[in-house]
Amino acid sequence: MATLSSEESAALRHSLDRLLADHGAEADVRRVMETPSGYDTNLWRRLAEMGVVGLIIDEDYGGSGAGPVELEMVMESAGGALLCGPLLASGVLAAELLRALGDDAARSRLLPGIAAGTTIATVAMTGDHGLWTADAVDVRAAKSGETWRLDSVGGFVLHGQNADVILVVANGPDGLGVFEIEPGAPGVDIKAMPTFDHTLRLARIEFNQAEARRLDAKVPVWDAVQRALDLALVALAGEQAGGARRCLSFTVDYARSRIQFGRAIGSFQAIKHMAADLLLESESATSAARHAADRLAQNASDAPAAISLAAFACADAFTTVTATSIQMHGGVAFTWIHPAHLYLRRARADAQLFGSPSAHRERYLQALGG
Amino acid sequence: MTDEELREEVGAWLAAHWKPAARETGADSMAPRKSAWMAKVVEAGWAAPRWPRQWLGRGLDDHQARIVEMEFARVRAPGSGQDRTNLWANTLLARGTEALKARLIAPLLRGEVGMCLLYSEPGAGSDLAGVRTRADRIDNHFVVNGQKVWTSSAATADYGMLIARTDWDVPKHRGISFFFLPMKQPGVEVLPLRQITNESHFNEVFITDAIVPAENLLGEMGEGWRVLQTALAYERSVMGEAARGPRSGVAETKGEEVLIALAREAGALSDPVMRQDIARAIGYRELNALNTARAKADLAQGTSSPIMSLGKLAMSRILHEEARVRTAILGAGSLMEGPDHPRAEDANFLALNAYFTSIGGGTDQIQRNIIGERVLGLPKEPEIDRDIPFREVRGG
Repeated sequence: MATLSSEESAALRHSLDRLLADHGAEADVRRVMETPSGYDTNLWRRLAEMGVVGLIIDEDYGGSGAGPVELEMVMESAGGALLCGPLLASGVLAAELLRALGDDAARSRLLPGIAAGTTIATVAMTGDHGLWTADAVDVRAAKSGETWRLDSVGGFVLHGQNADVILVVANGPDGLGVFEIEPGAPGVDIKAMPTFDHTLRLARIEFNQAEARRLDAKVPVWDAVQRALDLALVALAGEQAGGARRCLSFTVDYARSRIQFGRAIGSFQAIKHMAADLLLESESATSAARHAADRLAQNASDAPAAISLAAFACADAFTTVTATSIQMHGGVAFTWIHPAHLYLRRARADAQLFGSPSAHRERYLQALGG
Repeated sequence: MTDEELREEVGAWLAAHWKPAARETGADSMAPRKSAWMAKVVEAGWAAPRWPRQWLGRGLDDHQARIVEMEFARVRAPGSGQDRTNLWANTLLARGTEALKARLIAPLLRGEVGMCLLYSEPGAGSDLAGVRTRADRIDNHFVVNGQKVWTSSAATADYGMLIARTDWDVPKHRGISFFFLPMKQPGVEVLPLRQITNESHFNEVFITDAIVPAENLLGEMGEGWRVLQTALAYERSVMGEAARGPRSGVAETKGEEVLIALAREAGALSDPVMRQDIARAIGYRELNALNTARAKADLAQGTSSPIMSLGKLAMSRILHEEARVRTAILGAGSLMEGPDHPRAEDANFLALNAYFTSIGGGTDQIQRNIIGERVLGLPKEPEIDRDIPFREVRGG
């Protein structure tokens, strides 16, 4: 994978931050989170034009040809702004799964649309338990004549209700396979899941003899899925680190300006010490996310450990920072109108997507030989 | 002089004078050899290359001084770069009287003078500006009375860097003066302090009518708090240097992680709760290493990093948490002590010694104040004793 020069990276981040300030501010987030699709198609188009949607897609397919390091950086900005949209589903999970599988026809068919933002793709890989492991794949694939058909359930499918194409990881007669399916096809029933984080879109998809196209796999299928998951975890870690930093920033601003007992509440050690602890959390999350991105970009042997560490450290940091932020604000943050709960909701969602912090700690220990 | 000429000069000098074999000799013969070596380094001007020649330096800029240090480091010869690392000599050069500098700079650079710190008191820990040790001027000397604590190397020290109150009628920060107190005199009594770990690394120092010549005053009378800040800055920069060692900052896997090995040995590695605790504890240490590496990278790019100030707080958590997990791994085994129970000895020692980091050098709570105020820009607590004469300040 090529990488952007540091000037290109800085320019991209600058443009993205401006775009998000103009079109992805809190009011925008609140507006789109109450719509069925949960994202702003106008902002999505601009993100695609900027090269963010196709960031990690090869230039041959219309992408930016960047890698995990740039993706992590972009996601820090996205997380800070609570960006709503199918970036993780389409531009990361689906795009990376297609890249990793190595089915050239599928790449040519799907990646240009994904990079342009005109095709929304997603991946169904876990059932109703939401474990994101090979064992937890629930969908079954069977071949009748020349036709593959899918049955059972894909749960927690990111932006499944918005997808134009769904890549389904399923158990076939000869092991795992990845199948391409059209959302409108007979036997495909997509239901939006009622998410606690209103900025998130998840769907539960029931397959009932749904006709599917099997993709070629030049590597063991779960290796490709794991590669996509690893990249998604790096992206998520960046989002969590960026979200934690932004939340801490507005919390500290409030502690400086809110006066009680004739002084700024941030002058009380009870508040100040909470803020200091949160800074350690949020800086550690940033370090972990960037390190994981770097190790994955290098395809280093310690990448699995670095990604697992980032996964649980960033999840715990984002959750801790956002939860503590509400306590530090006091009553004002117990109101719907205050943004703190939006960050807490996102943090609680991010902490479960692609595996729980406990699961990542377990994976970390195993990666270290324990 | 060009960098290359300098490098050649230092290299040639080291080739002529440095005998690495000297390091391999036994401990008994090492001290005089080291002293002779240090004398040569000082005489040649390599000990403090940034200092002016008048004070045994070479007047080099930082870049060229680093070249000197690198040449020394290359052959593992000690003694150079003391203009960054020698707390005592730096403080003396910055604020000492001409007489005291003439007497002590060279011996300090040669490492011949034992030194200690006389800052903390039983009644002035976190609130160091509340010291009550007094120094009263009589003619051409001061008479010192009071008690200091947490002093390492007090028994062997020739001088102690002392802060004492010389004016009780001004607010606390303004009535303090800074001295080099001669330690080897009848009025200075040193008693080892037994720590909770059952070791004695520190002493209490009882000072009764001890004498300090007026020329041992650093800075002006009442300016001691500022001199102390200078000294503390040198101390911190040395600690910063130590943290900026050759390591990448990222924890290398040297064999198995110790907590995993201990759990395996104790048959606790299959316990899922223990596995979570172990992973979390290892993660804390790794995250701190990553933070340090990122801070170094920021510094290398000329951006000052807020992350450095987080390291001590992070280390407190690491040490307490590792000790807790070690104890959990041992279970009832941690009830034991003594040489037959080395694992319990380790766990119990680490559980107690973790406070060395979370209290020493500024408690975690003081550290959180510093982070909150200097990094996050939160306002200070009002200080009720800041602007009143120290005589009226409540102690205890």
